[in-house]
Amino acid sequence: MADSNTPKPSSSVKLVLLGEAAVGKSSLVLRFVNNDFQENKEPTIGAAFLTQKCNLPTRTIKFEIWDTAGQERFASLAPMYYRNAQAALVVYDLTKPTSLIKAKHWVAELQRQASPGIVIALVGNKLDLTSDGAGSGGDADGAGAEDSGDARKVTTEEAKTYAEEEGLLFFETSAKTGYNVTEVFTAIANAIPETSLKTARGPGASHTAGRTEEQRVNLNGPRDPNAKEGCAC
Amino acid sequence: MESLSDTLWDVVICGTGLQQSLLALALSRSDKKILHIDPNEFYGGAEAAFSLQDTELWVNRASAGSGGLFKSASIAKPEGTTGLSASRAYSLALAPQLIHARSTLLSQLVSSRAYRQVEFLAVGSFYIFKPPQESSQRPSLARIPSTREEVFSTTAVSAKAKRLLMKFMKFVLDYESSPQLEVWQPFADALLTDLLQQEFKMDAELQTYIVTLTLSLDGKISTKDGLAAIRRHLSSMGVYGPGFAAIYPKWGGLSEIAQVACRAGAVGGAVYMLGTGIKETETAEGEVKIQLTSGDTVKTRMLVRAGDSASDEMGITRLVAVIGSPLNSLFEAVVEGAPRPAVAVIAFPAGSLSTVSGKASEYPVYLSAHSSDTGECPAHQSVLYLTTLSTPDANATLNLALDAFLGTITEGQAPSVLYRLQYEQLAGSQRSQSEASIFTFPAPFLSLSFNDSTLQPVHEAWKKVMGDAAVEADYMTFADREGAVDDDDVYE
Repeated sequence: MADSNTPKPSSSVKLVLLGEAAVGKSSLVLRFVNNDFQENKEPTIGAAFLTQKCNLPTRTIKFEIWDTAGQERFASLAPMYYRNAQAALVVYDLTKPTSLIKAKHWVAELQRQASPGIVIALVGNKLDLTSDGAGSGGDADGAGAEDSGDARKVTTEEAKTYAEEEGLLFFETSAKTGYNVTEVFTAIANAIPETSLKTARGPGASHTAGRTEEQRVNLNGPRDPNAKEGCAC
Repeated sequence: MESLSDTLWDVVICGTGLQQSLLALALSRSDKKILHIDPNEFYGGAEAAFSLQDTELWVNRASAGSGGLFKSASIAKPEGTTGLSASRAYSLALAPQLIHARSTLLSQLVSSRAYRQVEFLAVGSFYIFKPPQESSQRPSLARIPSTREEVFSTTAVSAKAKRLLMKFMKFVLDYESSPQLEVWQPFADALLTDLLQQEFKMDAELQTYIVTLTLSLDGKISTKDGLAAIRRHLSSMGVYGPGFAAIYPKWGGLSEIAQVACRAGAVGGAVYMLGTGIKETETAEGEVKIQLTSGDTVKTRMLVRAGDSASDEMGITRLVAVIGSPLNSLFEAVVEGAPRPAVAVIAFPAGSLSTVSGKASEYPVYLSAHSSDTGECPAHQSVLYLTTLSTPDANATLNLALDAFLGTITEGQAPSVLYRLQYEQLAGSQRSQSEASIFTFPAPFLSLSFNDSTLQPVHEAWKKVMGDAAVEADYMTFADREGAVDDDDVYE
């Protein structure tokens, strides 16, 4: 999806994932980043964060996507996880009502811990398990939950109403079929105020005020073992 | 997902202080089954950093006697002040240690790739507090010249003093070879000031300059330790950029490193549980059965935990003050091309403060000033961390030092103190203990600068957990995880 024409301004955005275990947080990211899906995926191990670019008409957003690394399981996420996050994806499983309750808990936690201007998207995943989703491209809205063979337990209405009350973006997705996945990230990219963006930096870099740039000490620079011993005596 | 009690863990790590967290980092690619717990609801143990609200919770616990090596904690806020921002705008560090550029901690953070998630800031100048000569004068701060260039350009000392400083610096940088060795060895276990006086003919003022650079808590550092500390300081100068010898991790110092190390542990598959401690342990047949405070019982091949029994050594008393001034003049880069420092150190030598009863201060007081760039307070404020050895007068002395420091500020109005946190930290055992299946870390050093000896027990614990699978060359040396660096990582 690279665009080799005129270079557009590029900004790095830290996005954190939240949600109950096994709702498909990592699968959503895997779909977005690699356009891939793994059935029966093991709980997340081994990825510090992933990056993926999102091209908008006037700019490019480079998402730095942080996974919980399982630290959410016993509510043990560290402050550094939330720090400088500009966007959050709060995921629930729309076949599991308790996961929406958990999602609401995470939204409250974000409002407590994260930067005030953070863009939060509430995402109901596993739409493929319902009769209305499955990536048919049909309108997810207004679908009934009572259809036969339908595993949906959280109505679109209920989650959507909650999202509107809290000012969250709202989507129903299927990481399995890919339905609506790119749309979530594009919507987040569009919702991030231009004023809070700055040009791309290294992964893990913070996104605070621009003047910090002149202050950061880079440990990866040439650490010259023969560096002038202090006073060049 | 398997339950906690069904797993036979390779190691249970209890506590998320710096050492335990670094162990989690060291084991993060080992495929060992790791359960990492902490009785606290926060990361960082004795190196934690807190919002104001969390500080209050911590103070309540410490004053209720359940603060481990911390005690006598209290908070004071002037009545009716409105200058404080929201609780979360603060991140007050319990152990705000600066890290010298030559520290092995930094090379391990680089080789383990953990440094990518930490922002480092420069520690700027070291100052000495000068009490006024006459009562009509203001006290002042004198910057310690700590590079040859600075010694050359300073106007604070005489030409003779400059020559002496130059000579000493040259001596220290190669002090372990001949003929320097022969000069200081007779003084090795004597006071550094004896060497400075007898071999370098320095007066008391110059001696104080040199001893301050060692950050010695009692001011009575031995020649052997003192020379090592000063060489570390001088040789760290310029390693990561011009004009600074030490750095400080943004957002609360070592607390941030502990969090990043634990995240690396989690990414490697370790299970994390805060707010869960150990109720009881029982060792049998090479396994430790641990009853957790959560009610679960887990089995592990090894248990690694923090040491928190106090020793007879002197502890320290701290005063953390939030003040309503950015203290801009303290945080100016003094060398061209240097990053703007976020930390400055001010020493009050022994005897430079006098108590109400007219008694002179017995030990030095060190004040580490942190600008809002550290993320520890909001803009236009600063956090001052004052430390001295614990004596009955320590609290009063720290408050005197704070007032005296504020008296040196000439920019604008005298800054107001918005918040004071005081506490005592006891010294603990400096030895790690290794029994059959249980490894206990020593207590943290109380030093103001990170002590590389902190890293040794981590390495020992790692060897013990890894057993025959330990490959020395791989210790703390990892490739970047997938996604950490991508094809077009342009720094624009």
